[in-house]
Amino acid sequence: MIIDVNAWAGHWSTLPIEGGIAAVRASLKAVGVDRICLSPLDAAWCPNPHLHNAKVYAAARQFDDIDPVPVLDPTIPTWRDELADALTQPRVRLVKLLPTYSPYDLSAADELFAAFAQSRLAVIIQTRLDDPRHQHPLAQVPDLPADAVADVAARHPGLTVIVGGPTWTAIRGLRERLLSLPNLYADVSQADGMNSLKIFVAEGLTSKLLFGSHAPLFVPFSALARVVNDLNDDDVAAILGKNAARILGL
Amino acid sequence: MNLSPLRAHLRPPCPVLDVHVHPLACFEPRRVSSVREDVEILTVAAQRSGVTKLCVFSLSSPPPHEPTMPQCREANDYVLAMRDLAPDWFLPFCYVNPMYPDESVVEMERCIARERMVGVKLWVARRATDPGLDPILRYAVTLDVPVLQHAWLKTTGNLPGESFPADVANLARRHPRARLIMAHLNGCGMRGLEAVRACPNVVVDTSGGDPESGMVELAVARLGADRVVYGSDAPIRHFGVVLGKTLGTNLSDTVQQAILWDNAARLLPSWAGVKPLAEAAV
Repeated sequence: MIIDVNAWAGHWSTLPIEGGIAAVRASLKAVGVDRICLSPLDAAWCPNPHLHNAKVYAAARQFDDIDPVPVLDPTIPTWRDELADALTQPRVRLVKLLPTYSPYDLSAADELFAAFAQSRLAVIIQTRLDDPRHQHPLAQVPDLPADAVADVAARHPGLTVIVGGPTWTAIRGLRERLLSLPNLYADVSQADGMNSLKIFVAEGLTSKLLFGSHAPLFVPFSALARVVNDLNDDDVAAILGKNAARILGL
Repeated sequence: MNLSPLRAHLRPPCPVLDVHVHPLACFEPRRVSSVREDVEILTVAAQRSGVTKLCVFSLSSPPPHEPTMPQCREANDYVLAMRDLAPDWFLPFCYVNPMYPDESVVEMERCIARERMVGVKLWVARRATDPGLDPILRYAVTLDVPVLQHAWLKTTGNLPGESFPADVANLARRHPRARLIMAHLNGCGMRGLEAVRACPNVVVDTSGGDPESGMVELAVARLGADRVVYGSDAPIRHFGVVLGKTLGTNLSDTVQQAILWDNAARLLPSWAGVKPLAEAAV
């Protein structure tokens, strides 16, 4: 089973993408993805990202291979209501945070993290949505250091934490913490570089890596090639789905 | 989990000629111990993704922005050694520095006229508007080889000598008989495509950043299917991930084959030994 832990639907003005839910789902099904953890892309630039969560809940009601991943923002005073609503929706196991877009410091979100852990929700914290070199000059968003996400995992050992969109150098720099923190994982959707996954596997990280496509911003075909071309069947199966199935209870 | 169908699905449907590859010795954090090891790691990785020929150029190690000519010669000797170890794989380009135009021409004479390299690589020592490029471009036309010019349009700011797409257009207009490859489709972006659109002697390679959706389709729409070539920028980037920018589109098989092989084969000189697939079949 192939589980994409980091997919989106929505608009992105600096790329010529087709971000409608049907188009994103079709692009992922075309490369064999079985389950799509889907977040609303429009949440990134919306003053209240919660307003876009209804779209992925509706998508999950329409397609049983879509698992909604709402975006929550601890700086919105009504985040507790939004979390309560998320818990009534079908198949919500994972919640996404976009701290560089709101923006806020992760140290200010500890109450939110505690609430996730209490509700048995995992969290994916996005470190990058697009390459800072290619951003609109009036809309520049720096990367979130992956270490800040690892700090969350260290402070909240009962919470499953996924680093969303780290570059391959960021994952490499996080190796020791990925190995020492049992609740910390990394999505590989932006882990580019020749042999990147092969090197991670050789360094003992197989069980800590999760397949993400970053569709529709990135080409799903490329996401699959990064994992499948370089690894043996067991490692491919773990990264494409088994690890995510285990930690998300899918 | 039966992965055979998925592995088959990810294989390219035709041979693939990559116009933009560096030795691992330039960039790889895991240093290689020899040219032979470099050749081995690069070709095995390329093979896993279905890439069959590599245009390779060194930028010296580690790459200085303004290399001396001895550094250029050392870089060129390195890729010649790669070619000698695996002649079926590597098509080396000659790296020169327009800060030293006369010496660059001498190095091109050594590497291309005598050693049969198949192209010229220009990086970030000087922008493409610099007159120091002119003798290099004139000699590239004489030698009948393409010139791959690094270019990018960075929101975060280009390096002092780093060419913008508009600089490549300027170069193309100064040398209309030259065959130019503007590196980094995704680095040059939507604006970069428009900068070179009116320059028929410029093609763009598919490297330059993440596998962003829609960019290869946009390049084909704005420049034409005959002006886009596959380039990975390996080992900075992954052969298969960059291939996905083309293979993951709805472009026809004919257009994909043009990008992955035929267009680049037409750019290279006869001694490169590559032809468009239809001609090679005759």
